[in-house]
Amino acid sequence: MQNAMALEQRLETAWNDDTAVLDGVKTIADGPLRAAATRIDRGDYPIEIMGALGRTGALGAHLDRHGGRAGLAIAAMQEASRACGTTGFLMWAHDVCGLYLEHSGNPALTGAVLDRHARGETFGGTALSNPMKSLAGIEPILLRATKVRGGYTVTGSLPWVSHIRQGQYCGAMAGVFDGDGNLSHEILFMLRCDPPVELKQCPTFSGMEGSSTFGIRLKDYFVGEDVLVADPARQFIARIKAIFILLQCGMATGIVQGSIDSMWEVEATLGHVNRFLDERPDELQGEFDELGARIMKLAETPYDGSRDYLIDVLDARAHGAELALRASQSALLHQGARGYLMSSAPQRRIREAQFVAIVTPAIKHLRYEIARLSKEEQPQ
Amino acid sequence: MSAPTEEWRQYICRACGLIYDERLGDPDSGLAPGTRFDDIPDDWECPLCGVTKADFEPYERKAATNPAPAAMAPSRRPGIVIVGAGIAGWSVAEALRQRDSGIPVTIVTSCDGDIYHKPELSIALSRGRTPTKIRQATGGANAARLGVRLLAGTFAVRILSETNRLRTTRGTIAYSHLVLAQGARPVLADAMPPDLCWRINDLQAWSALYQTLAGGSKRIVVIGAGMVGCELSEDLARAGHRVTLLDRERAPVAEFFPPQASDRVKSGLESLGVAFLGSVNVARVIAGSDGLKRVETSDGQSFAADVVISAIGLATQSRLARTAGLAFERGIAVDPQSLRTNVSNIYGIGDCISIEGAPCRFIEPIGKQADIIAQDILGIAHGGYDHTPPVVRLKTKSAPLVMHGLPAKDGEWRVVDSNQARFAMEQWRGQDLVARLSA
Repeated sequence: MQNAMALEQRLETAWNDDTAVLDGVKTIADGPLRAAATRIDRGDYPIEIMGALGRTGALGAHLDRHGGRAGLAIAAMQEASRACGTTGFLMWAHDVCGLYLEHSGNPALTGAVLDRHARGETFGGTALSNPMKSLAGIEPILLRATKVRGGYTVTGSLPWVSHIRQGQYCGAMAGVFDGDGNLSHEILFMLRCDPPVELKQCPTFSGMEGSSTFGIRLKDYFVGEDVLVADPARQFIARIKAIFILLQCGMATGIVQGSIDSMWEVEATLGHVNRFLDERPDELQGEFDELGARIMKLAETPYDGSRDYLIDVLDARAHGAELALRASQSALLHQGARGYLMSSAPQRRIREAQFVAIVTPAIKHLRYEIARLSKEEQPQ
Repeated sequence: MSAPTEEWRQYICRACGLIYDERLGDPDSGLAPGTRFDDIPDDWECPLCGVTKADFEPYERKAATNPAPAAMAPSRRPGIVIVGAGIAGWSVAEALRQRDSGIPVTIVTSCDGDIYHKPELSIALSRGRTPTKIRQATGGANAARLGVRLLAGTFAVRILSETNRLRTTRGTIAYSHLVLAQGARPVLADAMPPDLCWRINDLQAWSALYQTLAGGSKRIVVIGAGMVGCELSEDLARAGHRVTLLDRERAPVAEFFPPQASDRVKSGLESLGVAFLGSVNVARVIAGSDGLKRVETSDGQSFAADVVISAIGLATQSRLARTAGLAFERGIAVDPQSLRTNVSNIYGIGDCISIEGAPCRFIEPIGKQADIIAQDILGIAHGGYDHTPPVVRLKTKSAPLVMHGLPAKDGEWRVVDSNQARFAMEQWRGQDLVARLSA
């Protein structure tokens, strides 16, 4: 017991030190994670590595209880994504799930449940792709809730939810419909991925198969007060929307940095022909540094609720995805045939970058949302 | 099986967008071609994403939506990029084309780029104008005529001035020179919700208001009796609407014109039935349960209205300029000679700029500004822009006014003529004639 408390204290001390957290992540990224990246891409769910990342403090840094260091959480995600994009994505999902728990204000979720989650002892993701698009008016909401005594029952299916499996959990949102079938509001709740919740195998994706992604099917699933994160959920979502999107930038910047690494790797041997290519590593690095600095600046005020701030966040996220596409493509061109090997990082990163470009909010969603926010509202 | 004569229908998966076509069925999951959706077992799953039949809904193909095709194929060569397709933006494109027929020009605009004469908007209703009549040409047609690329319905999001690129909601565009002609936006007070208060500063807003006003006389409250507020009030009254005009000043256009002149404008408006109420502040605008809006003033008065229009002023949005670190003082600060911003290949023109801290939001100077910018960009020697206060016309026919010069705050107004037939005033500052006002 004493040992456990001492360990706890040591952990907490190390967690407060940004450099120590990042060094810890780097050690994992350059060691076991880099070695496992190909296997993870093909389907290995790196749960032990996620646990190790949790012990460094990387999965709790952005939480208010650990100083609200969104910038550190993004930097940690970047380091991991530099070695393996799938793991960066899992860190994002995990981080966002931590936000739901902390901001819920629900004593059943903010105590030991959140502590274990932040330390990477338990795991869970976010099923908010459909709700985010639904709130932006892009598609209808898929989970439907009905008020019952003591809570709600929820029915419906979600096609793909990552970082879950039996014994884990995710944040989920359902539309509450009244007797006439009208949407009255939404609820956000923690969904335990245990029976009777059905996890369905997804079709094979072109990459990032180790993200442990399943379809979820619910039938009259009871949601009690102990698992409610927000009811109603709209204001809650509005509050965390910017940080939800901003944290994703870490995936993008990691892929960009990894791609630039791959270009420099072959500079000595192939530089004499690579100089004929369009996007050279120093040019990309310049753009990357400007974007990175901007993201870190935005990370200083993740709860700035202004319209202009949100546009800046959406644009930084879109810029990250676009740069990841360009940089990963260019890295493969720089490496040539060796980058095209199935075991090589450059070809894997192309698919990782494509994922960053299409995962919610995808580039097109980001632009749609920026346009919506930029429009002058007039009476109907 | 349903009767084969019935039309085949399609159903879309709400989760992944897969379309189930009854005609084709889904043989892979055991549904023969011709299987009606109603006949599919409830436990059938979407072959792509695995959600159930209940997550499908009837699908009707929508018409293709590409609201704003680019008028030309994109050019790989970085050229001149203009943000905004109002009079200022188009004037620059026109001036560039007059001097160089080949240089690539791209216009990025959030509107559709249609050509119209903006000052007409505040006097158009009573002249029986319609949106179609006001539109002189579509943006696409004008772009084709000038040989420029028009990106309509596109918002400029960020200027990357280090690498000369403009990020937009339709991708990133490289530029050699960037011209900001983004205009200014009507401001709203906090107590005036944008979904209740109209602001008329472009054809799109005017057209929407035009639709709203169709079908009989409406009760309208106009907030702000500046030049636009007065012109709109007169226009609305002449078009048969019942107009109440509110302003925090004692009389209309009092911030700009001397009392004798504003009193004439007030009488003119009142002769048309406009109820002017001065020295009031709007406390809030709310929606009533009866479908009417209510405008409440801080001294406890309340006005019911079908339509509320705000005309309390304009301001340049600073966001885009800020992304490039451009100097900003009540507008994008430009050099009075070259109209360059503090970043040498970025220019500003029209309503969005300020010269020595003062915006100048009138049409007249725009042509000259556009010509200077075109010459400066093309490296043609020019004598520099010479900013002179434009002649200002208040287009209220009930009491029109014309002002020459720029009145000073501390100047002294003298009446030169004041009778039914003629009205003239002058503003003097010591020995200097500063401004002249006539009816």
